Parts: sequence; C-alpha cells; structure tokens
Amino acid sequence: MNAIHHPSAAWLLDYATGNAPPLFETVIRAHVGACADCREEIAFAENLGGEIIAAGGFVTTGTLKAQDICDRYEQQDDGGTPFSRADEVALNGGIEQFVATYLHSSMEALPWRSLGGDLEICRLAEEHGAHMWMLRGQPGTILPEHTHGGSELTLVLKGSYFCGSDIFHAGDIEDADEDTEHQPVITRDGECICLAVTEGNLRFKKLLPRLVQPFIGI
Amino acid sequence: MIRFGASAVLPGMLARMSDERMKMPDNVIPLMGGDTSGDAARRAETLLLVKVRDNGDREAYGELFDAFTPRLRAYARHHGCDAGAAENVVQDVMVTAWTRARLFDPDKASARTWIYTLVRNRLIDQYRAGERRQRAYDGYATTLSESMSDTDSSERDLRSSRLSALLVELPEEQAQAVLMSYIEGKSHREIAEELHVPIGTIKSRTRLALQRLRKLMEDPV
Repeated sequence: MNAIHHPSAAWLLDYATGNAPPLFETVIRAHVGACADCREEIAFAENLGGEIIAAGGFVTTGTLKAQDICDRYEQQDDGGTPFSRADEVALNGGIEQFVATYLHSSMEALPWRSLGGDLEICRLAEEHGAHMWMLRGQPGTILPEHTHGGSELTLVLKGSYFCGSDIFHAGDIEDADEDTEHQPVITRDGECICLAVTEGNLRFKKLLPRLVQPFIGI
Repeated sequence: MIRFGASAVLPGMLARMSDERMKMPDNVIPLMGGDTSGDAARRAETLLLVKVRDNGDREAYGELFDAFTPRLRAYARHHGCDAGAAENVVQDVMVTAWTRARLFDPDKASARTWIYTLVRNRLIDQYRAGERRQRAYDGYATTLSESMSDTDSSERDLRSSRLSALLVELPEEQAQAVLMSYIEGKSHREIAEELHVPIGTIKSRTRLALQRLRKLMEDPV
C-alpha cells in the first residue's frame, strides 16, 4: 500500500512527540504502519527530539545512581517492542486486521446505523471532545457538503473516494480542519470504508443534513 | 527571512529548560559551555551505548547516565512533572536504557535519539495513566518581546550548540512552533490556540520548519 495522501507534518510531529490526542493517534498509527514515507518523517522527528534534549537544560538535584541500577537490574537478552514510533508494525492485512487490531472487533459486529441511501455510519469512540467513526458507502454515494468544527483525519480502509480533484485510496489520509470545505464522493470502483476522527460537529451546508444531524451526533 | 539576532525565541525557550524563571525548586544549572551537543558528543554517546549493549559495560553506562540524567530531569520537569515524578521518569528511562540496551541499533538511531524515544514513551504512559498534566510554569510567554529580554549566560552557551545553529536558520515563528511541540509538549492545535493564529498557519510553519531542518541536518553547510 503506497499512500499518496499523508497526515500533515504538524500531525506527524504531534505523533512523534506523543502530543496527538489519542483518537487521532490511532488513525495516524494505522496509516504510519503502512506508510514508509511517514515512518521516515517520524524517524527524523525523533532525531530532532534527541538533539533538543542534548541541547536543553540540566537539573542536577536527584537521588539516582548508575551503580544502583546496574546492581539491581539484569540486562535482558533480546525481544520486546522497538521504542521508535518509526518502527510501527506494518498493517498489510487490510481492513480486517485494522478492525481486529485497533477495535478488537469484527466488521460485522460493529453497530452500524443507516444514514439513508447507501451510507452507513458507526460511532466507535468519544474522548476529549473528539469522535471516532467508521463510515461505509456504496459506489457513487455523494456525502453532504460540509465544513468542520475542528480537525478531521479520515483514513481510507477500503475502496476510494474523491474530493474535488483529489482521489483518496486505501491507506491514504485526508487531513481536514475548519479551513476545509469538502464533499466526498465514493468512486464507482466499489464499496468504500473509512475511519474518521473529528473534533466538534460537522457543519453541513444544506438544510436536510442539518436536520438529521442531532439524531446522528456527527 | 527574519533571522535571530543576539536574542530570540529559540535561545529563550531552550534556556527556560534550565532557567530559574521556570520556578523549578531544584538546583538548576545552565548547559555547560563548549560543544556538548554536537557531532563529536553524539558519536561518543552512541559508542558508550554500544558498549553497554555489547558488553554490559558499567563504566560506559555510568558516563551515559551522567550525561543524560540531568537533561532528562529537566525535560520531564518541563513536561509538567514535579520533582518526584520527574525522578521516577528519569529512573524508568535509565533502567530501560540499561536493561533493554540490546534493542539499540546504532544504524537506525543515535544514542540520544534512542533515549528520546524512551522518555517520550514514558511520558505518554504517564499522561495515559491519567496523571494530571501540569505545566511547570504559569503564563509562559512565547512572545518575541519577552524572549528579547533573555540575554543570560545560558543562552550564550546554547547558541553555540549545533541545534541552535540550525534553528537560527529558521524564521522565528517556525522555530517557535517546533520547540513548543518538543519542549512544552503541545499539539499543533494547542500551539495555534496559544498563539492565536489559524490552525493552517501552524501547519504551514511546522511543515516549512521541518523541511528546512531536515535539509540543514542532512546537508550541513
């Protein structure tokens, strides 16, 4: 999976520094797991972190002693998860692996709700004012035109959609925010399933979606 | 491009990591003079960690310990840990550096980068555990005007570091966005809100800053 659309540098830096809110972090991790370009960006950001610690200040007061650590703890031979976020395990198994790995569920077990027509939605999580959604649409489905109340990251897990002249395929991330106005349209290639994390409510341009919005919570 | 002058955002921000104005109760001293953060130091640290990895070399570990614990303590304090919590963070990181040294791969990262990933991960665990994330200071000002008044000796030393030499090549607002992320532990949205600028502006500053830093680090003049 060679992604074309990636999280912005600001999101990757948030991820590399551990500053990304948890739900956004999950989406970025899933993308990074399958994107060598982003892993390289994260490796660079971690290098920069090392330089910043090396150039930073000193606090000398402390009780720790190196000798105590060496005496008390044994060195371990091998194994264990790498510490770098650039070494995330690749998710090459596609959507089922994602759902099993991150949601500890299966596609069919997810609580889907119909949005009418050929579009279904499933609210997966809520944390600190952000929501995580799974969306499933049939070929040719046109989503309502909208802007955002905050940041939005959408990871394509299956199929593809386009916004304007950009096409987003499986593995791509669409990075949107309050400055973004878009109307995703699912391509005619097949079913499209996306994972999205949103901050605040979407702001629909047309009346009908706005009327339905309170019942969905999106 | 706006260049840093004699005083600017970067030295002020880095200096605050060891500055009494952070209201740290500990005995805090500025970064030592000389090239303690440059290429030679980076290579030396990495060699030490390789010795720890391959031979369980206690002397090498002791040198690494002395080089990093004061810095890690300052870093943890800046991320909102009180003295006790910072000591726990530093202990966990340095225990991991000893017990898991076999996972270090110098072909992938320098020792300081590897140790950064340890402290980053440890701080994430702390936040996730629900410990209150408090700032070590209140009303931290990131404005240029305040930084312009910072002209203490720690800044002069910091300006000699390789990192500072790279960051001064950036417009101030770009360096500020990057440093607020690392040193203050803020997301790009938090930075945008604090600086009262649109989110797109911070995204743009971060992208340009990282592009420029990468070029400078990969192709030093």
